[in-house]
Amino acid sequence: MSISMSCFCLMKSSRPKIKREPFSFLALETSFTVNEVEALLYLFKKLSSSIVDDGCIHKEEFQLALFRNSSKQNLLANRVFDMFDIKCNGVIEFGEFVRSLSIFHPKASEEKKIEFAFKLFDLGKNGYIEHCEVKEMVLATLTESEVTIPDDIVESIVEKTMKEVDSKGDGKIDMEEWKEYAEKNPSLLKIMTLPYLKDITLAFPSFVLHTEVED
Amino acid sequence: MEKTTKVLMKRYELGRLLGQGTFGKVYYGKSKITNQSVAIKMIDKDKVIRNEQADNIIREISIMRLIKHPNVIQLFEVMASKGKIYFVIEYAKGGELFEKVAKGKLKEEVAHKYFKQLVSAVDFCHSRGVYHRDIKPENILLDENENLKVSDFGLSAFAESKRQDGLLHTTCGTPAYVAPEVIKRKGYDGAKADIWSCGVVLFVLLAGYVPFNDTNLMEMYKKVSKGDFKCPNWFPKNVKKLMCKMLDPNPDTRISIDKIKRCSWFKYGANGRQKKDEGENKTTLSCVTTNPSDQRDETRSDDLEVEAKEEPVVPVSINAFDIISLSSGFNLCGIFEDSFKKREAKFTSRQPASVIISRLEEIAKRLKLKIKKRAAGLLKLERVDEGRKGNLAIDAEIFEVTPFFHLVEVKKSNGDTLEYHKILNEDIRPALQDIVWVWQGELHEQSEQQQQSQS
Repeated sequence: MSISMSCFCLMKSSRPKIKREPFSFLALETSFTVNEVEALLYLFKKLSSSIVDDGCIHKEEFQLALFRNSSKQNLLANRVFDMFDIKCNGVIEFGEFVRSLSIFHPKASEEKKIEFAFKLFDLGKNGYIEHCEVKEMVLATLTESEVTIPDDIVESIVEKTMKEVDSKGDGKIDMEEWKEYAEKNPSLLKIMTLPYLKDITLAFPSFVLHTEVED
Repeated sequence: MEKTTKVLMKRYELGRLLGQGTFGKVYYGKSKITNQSVAIKMIDKDKVIRNEQADNIIREISIMRLIKHPNVIQLFEVMASKGKIYFVIEYAKGGELFEKVAKGKLKEEVAHKYFKQLVSAVDFCHSRGVYHRDIKPENILLDENENLKVSDFGLSAFAESKRQDGLLHTTCGTPAYVAPEVIKRKGYDGAKADIWSCGVVLFVLLAGYVPFNDTNLMEMYKKVSKGDFKCPNWFPKNVKKLMCKMLDPNPDTRISIDKIKRCSWFKYGANGRQKKDEGENKTTLSCVTTNPSDQRDETRSDDLEVEAKEEPVVPVSINAFDIISLSSGFNLCGIFEDSFKKREAKFTSRQPASVIISRLEEIAKRLKLKIKKRAAGLLKLERVDEGRKGNLAIDAEIFEVTPFFHLVEVKKSNGDTLEYHKILNEDIRPALQDIVWVWQGELHEQSEQQQQSQS
């Protein structure tokens, strides 16, 4: 906490100005309308100023939003953050935020959601979801809930799942196998849809007074 | 394609003018994406800013967002351009209830149905701290299935805007439907004022005219403040009684919504009276027909239980990706607002499935929840009594991690969220306590509290 406070003072003075791309570009590229992008900016401002008000969401701010605790480490949260950080510069900028959330929109295509989930689970970023990666994520999730299950049982759950998905039988899951599996098991993608995004203009209505949309 | 079709914000085809409000016009619209019919309220931003109503507009949106009820017109989205604000709201095809009443009084059973739906809508809004304050037939619309929809929350105010005495202070509303304490410009209790207006609406539905009327406005106010009205002789006795309790000029002694919901006419309408009469005639049946709906419900639930027992609840075994998707790090709901309460609660248990299931069945029995369905790992429970937003229904789904380790997800599938949280926290959670290993999220809340107290 004390570290982030001193950071706060430093960063505020050397606050980098971030050039924002036009909202119409973002709207064209995503499932959002210009108004929705404008509403999202209010959410973004809230998240990006919770610790350091520099126009970017830092990992600590992301953790604070998810867990109400800025120092809580979580494997999956780290992965989600990295996926949002498209430019890989350690922060989430507004454009990245909108583009990534767009995949979680109820209107977004299932294909995009499937692809996003695959990349998220591919911890080593080598194009495959491997046995050890699945096991690592399962263990992380169980530990997070303070659940202890004997290793051989975890192993057998992972083994069984790998067999279900790995139709080619090479011991790892590629994108093709993942797609096939995810299409058959839509419940897997439930977490990839945020119904809340449909309501975004109502949740952050202040944009109506400052919109740049022409009449 | 018609040449005249105007498209708004590339999303809605505009149709005919539906009405005119203080800040702008209301048009019919049709979504270009879903083809859904909507109403679009267009507001001039200039006018809003000139009248210093900007904050009120934002507040109105926040209010309407909280209200999702089958008998309240829903706000779907807001759109805006530099000069205008557009409210995209639910379209009620049936028009104003007023038009129906203008043709003459309604049949008792029709009036009863509308009154029940009105009270349900008002009760729901009050439970969210929202008072309508301008209930009148013109604000009550009907959809294509003749269901009632309360519209126009433009004048309502949050409970937060109460002064320190806990009373609302602005006068608004239409004289014929407005409670005496509102006319007197005293601070008033929004809930009690709405009850008065509902009383006037009920009177109008059954009588075909307003209870308080006079060509002289002062005379009319006098009648209102004395509660001076007369029920026509065709009003049934229990309606007359209810009428007097709702149109009580003293807000302190005026009937509450809870009591309205418990009165016999509200529950059974004309139907109950007929059934009761039949019962009295046929003495052999009188003992079982006193409460026909309850009887039916009980036998139905018995049947279901017998039926359901044939299909055992076998939990679905959980796979690795199901477990991973339970990670709170993967649940982005948290980045939105705190008020976005979770519908579901998850717990893990080290008990075999049979123990968990029989405990859930015990709880259902004690809380008078019907077991509606048993499927693979799923118990569907439903409350017998109708709640604020239909019958509360809860799903409990059991997933097997190992035969001695289960994950149970409890979530609301129908009904009012506040009622759900109440029964979950006050009844279900404590009753499950000794079979629960850990409730999801609870440990992290605890550690968070510890952290807070340390810092």
